[in-house]
Amino acid sequence: MKKAVLSIGVLALIVLGLAIVRIYISNQVATSGVALEQVQQEVDSYKMGNIQLAESLYTKSSLTNIAEEAVKQGFVAQATDFVLNGQVPVAYKQ
Amino acid sequence: MTWRYRLVFFGLIFLFLLVVARLFYWQVVKAQELSLLGQEQYGTTTTIIPQRGEIETSDGFPIAANKISYQVFANPKEISNKGEVTAALASVLQLDVASVSASLALDKFWVPIESGVDEKTKQQLEQMNLPGIGFDTQYQRFYPEASMAAQLLGFVGKDSAGNDKGYFGLEGFYDRLLKGKAGVAVEVNDAFGKPILAEMNSSSGETDGANLILNIDRSIQFLVEQKIKDGVEQYGAASGMVGIMDPKTGAILAMAAYPNFDPRDYQDYTDDLYINPFVSDLYEPGSTFKPLVMSAAMDAKLVTPDTECNACAGPVSVGGYSLETWDNKYFPNTNMIDVIQHSDNTGMVFVAQKLGVDRMINYLGKFGIGDNTGIDLQGEVSVELKPSNEWYAVDLATTGFGQGISVTPIELLDATAAIANDGVRMEPQVVGAVQDAQGNMVKIQPKVLDTPISVGTAKVMTEIMVNAVNKGEASWARLKGYSIAGKTGTASIPVSGHYDPTQTIASFVGFAPSDNPKFVVLVILNRPTASIYGADTAAPIFFDITKSLLSYYGIPPDGN
Repeated sequence: MKKAVLSIGVLALIVLGLAIVRIYISNQVATSGVALEQVQQEVDSYKMGNIQLAESLYTKSSLTNIAEEAVKQGFVAQATDFVLNGQVPVAYKQ
Repeated sequence: MTWRYRLVFFGLIFLFLLVVARLFYWQVVKAQELSLLGQEQYGTTTTIIPQRGEIETSDGFPIAANKISYQVFANPKEISNKGEVTAALASVLQLDVASVSASLALDKFWVPIESGVDEKTKQQLEQMNLPGIGFDTQYQRFYPEASMAAQLLGFVGKDSAGNDKGYFGLEGFYDRLLKGKAGVAVEVNDAFGKPILAEMNSSSGETDGANLILNIDRSIQFLVEQKIKDGVEQYGAASGMVGIMDPKTGAILAMAAYPNFDPRDYQDYTDDLYINPFVSDLYEPGSTFKPLVMSAAMDAKLVTPDTECNACAGPVSVGGYSLETWDNKYFPNTNMIDVIQHSDNTGMVFVAQKLGVDRMINYLGKFGIGDNTGIDLQGEVSVELKPSNEWYAVDLATTGFGQGISVTPIELLDATAAIANDGVRMEPQVVGAVQDAQGNMVKIQPKVLDTPISVGTAKVMTEIMVNAVNKGEASWARLKGYSIAGKTGTASIPVSGHYDPTQTIASFVGFAPSDNPKFVVLVILNRPTASIYGADTAAPIFFDITKSLLSYYGIPPDGN
């Protein structure tokens, strides 16, 4: 009879303990959703920012844009090219 | 009394089994159906559009990327002062007041007003604090290099369901890879139908599109876009195009056409500009075809470079037609080297007749003439070669100098590349690698299509083409110090059963350096007016491009 009472007591304590742990964890997790949502929004905002920066970077580093800017700044294509292909060296040592 | 207990007991058991059976029916047999019914009641299904894959040049620069834009929508039921809101929206979004007003008059909770709105405009509208106006983020195709390689890229339009769809070029050919896989998300609503922050299924299943890494070299592409535009304007041509290929791998290094279109505003251009003429336009190649026929005859050991033409003293009569040279100059007993150098039509008739119909068909087939090359672009066409029993004597003769036969520029480029690549013909490939959404890269390996001629024949033909560049009619434009193999072409244009004597397709095909070719270039001008000859128009463009490419690759002169 004593054993049975002891067992019931232990079981009751376990149930009570687990219930308290559950309440504690629930309380802890309940507010994590808000923090998680904030983190998610921050990540989304960084992703958005990255895409917008990439757009700006691609536009500015495109050859089309560089060529336009070069013309604006007065650069012109080299009109004549030449190659040194003769048998005579560029300089003789006398 | 026992029977009463039993009756009650079995009665209860029976009722219990009935309940179990009914529960089994609802929870197992009808589970899926009920689940969907429930979802419809407390949630709405939204399709998540994946981000479309980017198209990058070989240096990793995206020539087709994605940018964020916004869709402006309105909830007319929340807008009390519709006149004011209509005026504000019409002014900022530059829309017709009547159409905005009509949208806001609808008895709906969600009405689209405008899509593709940029960040600046969105901020402008947000600052106005208009009631009932919201924004949905969406991705829009963005082309940092504007119209560069437009016909190669194609464009992204809409299908009949309003979804993004690639049309023409790479966007069309690789549409399934680029668009990825759409996902589905369920938005859970409360009793009033308003969305609540919860997700029924965190895994929506969408997969972003794969990126394409092209063999296209951005610098070369930019260069040839400029050169062909300048060439078309300088020589008063109706249009022009250039294709550049690595003969050893089949990699397409550049492909440009002018006029072209801006893929951002494709709807402002006529449909014919969407088509990539390099793979979709058929033309008679004229003299640029002669190296293929000559190398076939040499490979079949029917002629050698020293073989003398005994039918080149004057016009040749075949099947009732008189076939003449382009400049009415004739060279009796000329050899095969000079036939190519002088672009001698009568000499090529001699070669074609030696070759015969069956061998001509066989060799042209190995060069890929009459069949699609398999290039990974939408819209490639080809005209099948006629069966041998349908060839007349004059067909064989004119095919020798590239008339009476239709090819696409890519067919000719690929066939000439076979001569440059020791007789091995490669499959032309625009895409060099595919990168999936997880970053895994799959390289596309070069593919050998055929070996039309032997290494020895290819070497000899290359030397003959180098001689044609150095001593032929385009020698004035050649680059001194480099060994470049090439051939001019001036093809007549068939119009209503005869050839137009005043209009031509001027072209030049060649490769450099001839001893170890790095690139093959084909330049085509459609109906140039400054001169009808390829030697005067296409050749200077070819050598201009070649000079830049030799400098770009750092290839020193060989002193020849």
